[in-house]
Amino acid sequence: MIKRIYLIGNPNVGKSVVFSRLTGVQVISSNYPGTTVELSKGYLSLGGEKIEVVDLPGTYSLESTSKAEEVAVSLLKEYSKNEIAVLNILDSTNLERNLLLTLQLIEAGFPVIACLNMCDDAAHRGVHLDIKKLEGILGIPVISTCAITGVGIKQLIERIPEASPAHRNKISHEELWKEIGRVIDQVQRLEHRHHSIREILEDASVRPFTGVLMATGVIYVSFKIVRFTGEMIINKMADPLFINFYQPLLERLSSSWQEKGFWFHLLIGDLLNQKIDFKQSLGVLTTAPYIEFGMVLPYVISFYFILSLLEDIGYLPRLAILLDNLLHRLGLHGYAIIPVLLGFGCNVPGILATRVLESKRERFIASTIISIGVPCVPLQAMIFGLLGKFGGFYVAGVYLVLLILVVILGLILNRVLTGYSPEFLLEIPPYRFPSLRMLWQKLYFRIRGFLIEAAPVVLIGVAAINILIYFNLFDIISGVFAPVIHNLFGLPKEAIIALVIGFLRKDVAVGMLMPLGLSAKQLFIAATLLAISFPCIAAFIVLWKELGWKYLIKSTLIMAAVSVIVGATLNFLILH
Amino acid sequence: MKRISLAHIKADCKGKVVEISAGTNLQNKLMNLGVYKGKEIRKLSHIGLQGPVVIKVGRSILALGHSLAVKVMLEQE
Repeated sequence: MIKRIYLIGNPNVGKSVVFSRLTGVQVISSNYPGTTVELSKGYLSLGGEKIEVVDLPGTYSLESTSKAEEVAVSLLKEYSKNEIAVLNILDSTNLERNLLLTLQLIEAGFPVIACLNMCDDAAHRGVHLDIKKLEGILGIPVISTCAITGVGIKQLIERIPEASPAHRNKISHEELWKEIGRVIDQVQRLEHRHHSIREILEDASVRPFTGVLMATGVIYVSFKIVRFTGEMIINKMADPLFINFYQPLLERLSSSWQEKGFWFHLLIGDLLNQKIDFKQSLGVLTTAPYIEFGMVLPYVISFYFILSLLEDIGYLPRLAILLDNLLHRLGLHGYAIIPVLLGFGCNVPGILATRVLESKRERFIASTIISIGVPCVPLQAMIFGLLGKFGGFYVAGVYLVLLILVVILGLILNRVLTGYSPEFLLEIPPYRFPSLRMLWQKLYFRIRGFLIEAAPVVLIGVAAINILIYFNLFDIISGVFAPVIHNLFGLPKEAIIALVIGFLRKDVAVGMLMPLGLSAKQLFIAATLLAISFPCIAAFIVLWKELGWKYLIKSTLIMAAVSVIVGATLNFLILH
Repeated sequence: MKRISLAHIKADCKGKVVEISAGTNLQNKLMNLGVYKGKEIRKLSHIGLQGPVVIKVGRSILALGHSLAVKVMLEQE
């Protein structure tokens, strides 16, 4: 009786897509090794029974050589072998490398079913596999699937009950590879083809000159598209909706309000010239939704669209090898670019993704760099919204300061921290045409995640600020910190509200700065400080969970020190 | 026949792996990816002087850090 089904396979063979197909549970998949750093569980109905399905992190072999692989291997031992079915997912375009794990699984006595995924891509590349022959050689059910389109999934589910242990003698690794070579000769036929444009591009992106040229182009175009789409959504959709529909509604509510007391202050906020101003009123119904939906959400959509596209095409690992040299000096290796890029969306998934890095030292450096030097989309959207009107110079300035900081910090941490940085070894996936359906699903998944996490915090945050202001409680706090804020950073004492709120959410914090009428210099310093000072509470909790409290304290001390130094330096360096 | 390390062999050249002078864990990792003694691999490129080396082995493309590439010895025809 099967109690649990495990999905196991090399990294980046589409396990998560098969998982989604089997269970209906949506998980994020990308075209690079190590997308799944957490276990996903779901259920599949099989003959009227609900069976648990577990998606394991990718592993190349049964002898674990990394943390993710360890997790995968130890989980396989939780149930006895006759209570589980092991669904081994293989990449049809690269059967040779994938078969090592399959043979090891059979050797170890697991009831295995082989699922040759990405059969459409194999056909495109002229790779032909004889499934029947392979089934005969391995002695286990072999099914050809294309999980993205759903081809073969039904057959796969039907044959799960056939899983039973096959017999194999244990042999050494070298012998295993030799045997795999013989198997491949029998079942695989390669059609000779001229290099396609895809293959030429794959090749060009990993060569020094053409690679850097392509990377520069890709980054530039991505940035342009993010800005362009974000602004388009704001100007063509968000602003018209807020100004033409929402504002008249609120104006009516506000004018019919008799006594403008506490609740009016809380929900609507202050009026400017008898009118509601979405940027300055600071009410739960006015500024809070405007920050989230009118200023931040458009950029969240455009950013994740581009990131998801790059992920699915398979470009990011190529960027990683080009940056390896540079990141080495900061105590990281090239693959750290993936958590960093994710961190630009939101620091939380960025810090979680540092799990793809092997040593604690690397994870600490990467997490610290992300929480100090990588501003999330909500914060960036607000910086663009606020500083943009003073000119691109100030916006670029914030990024420049952050970049310099990251480099200095990395250089120092690399010198000071003990421990080792492991060797860089990475498989570069082929380019794949992104499936629009998958891309859309992933985008929807990420935006929904953003809304669920952000919206309540923003509403509560704005409400809390209003209550504190209404009862004059902020005066006490700002009174204490005024000397520091004023003398050291050159900011008005009200700016302390923003810095405190920054702990809750960065976008709301920048929102707090809007009514203060700050000068370009003050806004520049405040925005930079918000980026480098403590991460928001969500990122803080993840830091603690991932690194433990000892590292959290270290990281926090570094952040505090860096904030004070940078804030003061900027204040004294910039004259006007 | 000459022995040369993966870091020093020219791009677009092939060679047979004769020695990997790394620890067991690294050897296993390379083994799992299909790089082992006797296997023929092709170097695709080298990113910068001290940067990673990109190779093709079977149908996979792998990137090895420079310090690792130095430890992989090849035999070139």
